[in-house]
Amino acid sequence: MKTSKKTIIVLFPVCIILFASLFSSKYPDTIETFAINQGFKNQTKEIVLIFNDYNDLPFIVNQFLSSFCSGIIGLVLLYILYKTVKLFTK
Amino acid sequence: MHIPDGFLNNSLTVGLLSGASVMFGCCLKRVHKIATAASSIASGSNGSTGVCTFEFFNGTNEYIQKLTIIAMWVFSSQMFNIPVQSKISAHLIGGVFTAVIVGPFAGFLVISSVLIVQSTFFSDGGILALGANIFNMAFIGSFISYYVYKAVARENYYLAILVSCLFSVLSAAFFCLIELSVSGIVHFSSSFKNMMCLHLIVALLETVITIVLLWLLKFICK
Repeated sequence: MKTSKKTIIVLFPVCIILFASLFSSKYPDTIETFAINQGFKNQTKEIVLIFNDYNDLPFIVNQFLSSFCSGIIGLVLLYILYKTVKLFTK
Repeated sequence: MHIPDGFLNNSLTVGLLSGASVMFGCCLKRVHKIATAASSIASGSNGSTGVCTFEFFNGTNEYIQKLTIIAMWVFSSQMFNIPVQSKISAHLIGGVFTAVIVGPFAGFLVISSVLIVQSTFFSDGGILALGANIFNMAFIGSFISYYVYKAVARENYYLAILVSCLFSVLSAAFFCLIELSVSGIVHFSSSFKNMMCLHLIVALLETVITIVLLWLLKFICK
């Protein structure tokens, strides 16, 4: 595949993350709404391993930047994960 | 669609986590086989492996690159919550999108890897409920949905995407409801209508986004 195509393909998720950080809805998703409607939302247990949420990184105060950085961190993590898989398939 | 911790009982959590681990192992083995044989896939044979459509890879390295790219697309798309009704948002599952491009086994792995990153690093979906989320979104939403797509795709491509996306989202929601009712959280029959109505719009949204993403990927890779 040509380098320019690869660049577009890799930049696309970054653009989506940028849009998501700016315009993503803050309303609860369908499962949360279902839990609220059925009255069992309070049974949620928060088990935080590393970060609490996309827009709640401990070292960034700004919500947009936090969300954008979370997205980029996620992409990097996936890249590292598949890079590791690639090493094992050789 | 991500179930948080605390909703499912312990036995169901352990059972689904075990099942997801076994399935993950099987799919990893299958994908490893496909990746090592990728050069022969690129030269033409793709029927037995389940790898299909866009031929933008030519070997082991590019096959893994392809999985990485699809995982990145799905991860970023799942971050984008779109308002669907008043005060309700929804996001892409991406199961059909993934399975159509990389096949059911790799599709399962891609969605699972995205879910693992989301739950372990960003608390998006419970870490204990990971097995349930993998079952709902990767197994039902991607692996099984691929065969629905494959069955209808002989007739019409767009109809196949529509049917498989509807199946993907609605059956994932259905199994989520079964898991919640087995855990004693909700009563199945009384909450069925609410669950399905909430996810019907999500299923239509999934169809539109899947078609757009597939078209976009095809357009870029031309």
